[in-house]
Amino acid sequence: MSTSSSTPLVAMENVTVRFRGAQTVHAVNGVSLTLEPGKVLGILGESGSGKSVTLKTLLRLLPESRTDIGGKVMVDGRDVLAMNAAELSAYRGAVTSMIFQDPALALDPVYTVGQQIAESITRHEKISAKAAMARALELLELVRIPSPERRLKAYPHEMSGGMRQRAMIALALAARPKLLLADEPTTALDATVQIQILLLLRQLQRDLGMGVIFVTHDIGVAVEVSDRLAVMYAGQIVETGTVRELLRNPQHPYTKGLLAANLHGAKKGERLEAIPGAPPALNEPPSSCSFAPRCRYAEPACGTALPPALSLGDARTVRCIRAEAGLQPA
Amino acid sequence: MTAVTGLDVPKTAVAVPPLLKSPGYWSGVWRRFKRDKVAVAAGIVVLLIVLMAIFADYLAPADPTRSSMLRRLRPIGTPGYPLGADELGRDMLSRLIYGARLSLFMGVAPVFIAFVFGSVIGIAAGFFGGRFNTVVMRTVDVFYAFPSVLLAIALSGALGAGIFNSILSLTIVFIPQIARIAESVTTQVRSADYVEAARASGAGSGTIIKVHVLGNVLGPIFVYATSLISVSMILASGLSFLGLGTKPPTPEWGLMLNTLRTAIYVQPWVAALPGVAIFITSISFNLLSDGLRSAMDVKG
Amino acid sequence: MTLTLYVEDAQDRGGAGTPLLQAKALTKHFPLGGGAVVRAVDGVDFSVLKGETLGVVGESGCGKSTTARVVMQLIPQDKGELLFDGEAVGTRALSLKDYRRQAQMVFQDSYASLNPRLTIEDSVAFGPTVHGVPKAAAIERARELLAKVGLDPARFAARYPHELSGGQRQRVNIARALALGPRLVILDEAVSALDKSVEAQVLNLLADLREEFGLTYVFISHDLNVVRFISDRVMVMYLGEVVEIGPVEDLYDDPRHPYTRALLSAMPSMDPDNRTMEAPLAGDPPNPINPPEGCRFHPRCPHAQTVCAKVKPALVATSDAEGARRVACHMEIAGSGHSRAPALESAA
Repeated sequence: MSTSSSTPLVAMENVTVRFRGAQTVHAVNGVSLTLEPGKVLGILGESGSGKSVTLKTLLRLLPESRTDIGGKVMVDGRDVLAMNAAELSAYRGAVTSMIFQDPALALDPVYTVGQQIAESITRHEKISAKAAMARALELLELVRIPSPERRLKAYPHEMSGGMRQRAMIALALAARPKLLLADEPTTALDATVQIQILLLLRQLQRDLGMGVIFVTHDIGVAVEVSDRLAVMYAGQIVETGTVRELLRNPQHPYTKGLLAANLHGAKKGERLEAIPGAPPALNEPPSSCSFAPRCRYAEPACGTALPPALSLGDARTVRCIRAEAGLQPA
Repeated sequence: MTAVTGLDVPKTAVAVPPLLKSPGYWSGVWRRFKRDKVAVAAGIVVLLIVLMAIFADYLAPADPTRSSMLRRLRPIGTPGYPLGADELGRDMLSRLIYGARLSLFMGVAPVFIAFVFGSVIGIAAGFFGGRFNTVVMRTVDVFYAFPSVLLAIALSGALGAGIFNSILSLTIVFIPQIARIAESVTTQVRSADYVEAARASGAGSGTIIKVHVLGNVLGPIFVYATSLISVSMILASGLSFLGLGTKPPTPEWGLMLNTLRTAIYVQPWVAALPGVAIFITSISFNLLSDGLRSAMDVKG
Repeated sequence: MTLTLYVEDAQDRGGAGTPLLQAKALTKHFPLGGGAVVRAVDGVDFSVLKGETLGVVGESGCGKSTTARVVMQLIPQDKGELLFDGEAVGTRALSLKDYRRQAQMVFQDSYASLNPRLTIEDSVAFGPTVHGVPKAAAIERARELLAKVGLDPARFAARYPHELSGGQRQRVNIARALALGPRLVILDEAVSALDKSVEAQVLNLLADLREEFGLTYVFISHDLNVVRFISDRVMVMYLGEVVEIGPVEDLYDDPRHPYTRALLSAMPSMDPDNRTMEAPLAGDPPNPINPPEGCRFHPRCPHAQTVCAKVKPALVATSDAEGARRVACHMEIAGSGHSRAPALESAA
């Protein structure tokens, strides 16, 4: 849906992800998105929406043996799904990197932080161990860790939650990736630490010119870091647009419900406009609007076919047949 | 004690109609277990061995203690001796079939008794904690520090040979192991939120143990205990091998291994047979115990 | 059958003026090996009025969960007094068992709060059976409560916890807390682990139940938006102490304690044209082993002066709010020695 003439950094076309196993789970059902270089896309959704799976597809982090991925995933002009092991190894870290909700997932407890960052650098560049360690120190300074020289020699368990998160960010940036994927990196942090990390990410993104895809369930967090937003539900993107557009004029009923649930404009003492029911089990690929059973505006037509992604303007899409008439008043 | 007010419920017994019944925990366990082909196969093997032991009288072709000096150490397939004859000319097949009785008994009995005593000790220590836990568990640790084989041998040596003494010494070996698991699991359960919630409802220790702790603790302890059955069998066989357990001419696999020791150069296949029996039985118990553990592991 | 859950007037022994819960100088320390002590809760004073919802906010290490457990007497306090409707808890006036019928708690982890081996209805019915209600009657009551919290008993009563979703389990936990007919319900991050849409449903449910049964809530959360929405008054905790307490709208509009200000401005902005430009506080929340002398916040406070490192500020009422707002900050205490403190009223 990009109107810019430059090649997008990320282009996902009709990506589907299906997990086989005791039960089949259709985690992602036709996701198409683009990201321009140097921009931040926020993906907003709840658990089971497929947002983390979408992110992991960009790094091929899903278990190969029981995952079927369809569609096209292009990052920096490379076909991610067609890469072999060697290409994938070169791609991960140097082109695309990821930070997680739990730093323990990324930081090895038996190595110091400095060793881990240096290792990531030397895996992608041919420089000496000493030079790599010096670069690691620079990275720790970049992420504003207090006393960076000491932290180089520290083990992850010796650091507080906020510092571990910064160390993980430094590790992710070690090989100068063009695309940074963030999977709910601040969800487990205290409020005062969360805002520090969000500001840091914003600044790093600006200074290093990275593209960022930021997954979260918290609208406030998405607003702070994103240029554009994509709202996901049941493995599909139901609405995209700039942050302003989505906040001021949400079109999809689910987006409206999410905003209400985040107490956006909630009046104290009144009932919240809660979305009733629960997300669908994803055992079958959707054949009609997945949100219709919970939607207060549902019509009979919603149950007959998949609503197409309607374009409402420049990079503004909605998957809802009611939006056909053009932008509806909020 | 003030009357319970605010809990306005009818005092007459109300027949509670059954509602939509959830399959229940145990049928869920059974369902998961059935899907695990390896565990089911192991279970069938164990069942067959147990049946073999029970119906030994009908299954064994010959008297296991009838010796024949003429037909010593015959190979497998000798007419009349399908699995060969041992060093005293006795039919191996019959001895193996009857041997299953004692070997299984020596495997299960000590573990079962240790399960009862070890659970009581461990659950009590785990639930009450504090000094009581320290005293009990450090005592248990003293016994746990001895390697099981050495401890079994030492105890058997002190008590004397014989089946009863072997069972006693093996039980003493296993009680500390089960007590440790019991204490560990109970400590975890005790700090769970639902136990705190039960305390917050005003329940006393007895009620909490009965309703909340036992149901969640006995399962894992039981599974651990079943994994000890194979160890017990092997230890019992070892004791018999060393002359500390069963006395000849009673057929018991460990004892058979001992007496056939010297025949290993003459009839290696026959001499190995009791070992094969021990191996198959203990592996089956192990796999069964593993399958049980996986089946009982409810993923939320 | 009508479900009489809430307090008959006869139970309201203290009258309208007495707070339902009063905590006085509650202190709880946990010894670590080697002489170090975790001063988790240190001299906490607060009260909860009948029918109100007190929100409790603070970051890791502030002691809000420990306070909740002390209030529930799941951990006994080292020092300090706990009064429920004017009577001291754990004394002859109010035995622990009687208190536990009147004060209940809902925990954060909906799965760990339920015995995985009991059916839903058995879990909910457990509390009443402990207090002498016959099993069949307790089950009946459990089913009615399940219906009240939005779970159809015909479909859910005989299920096991692992068959339910997080939101459904939390509803069960709420039903379980209500089974004894309590007057006070402590919600310790009860909605934090739920998806936003489910959280909204549960918040609506909590509001309905409060209305119907005349409940008093203590709502502990790290989510300042939710606390603002559901609370009447808010208490802010830092490193085991109360730093500010007052009516919610006043506190959110005009926070007086520097930590409260930092906490409120750390909330992500919902306006894309007006994003947060600067983090209000640097560093992580400290842990309560060996907290700083004097005011515990002074090492991170932009307004700290010498007096702040030496003297611990008491929680005093601010001059303008008629005692409704209390702050523990030298800048609010007249004559404290802080350059910004108001002048002492000199006697005529």
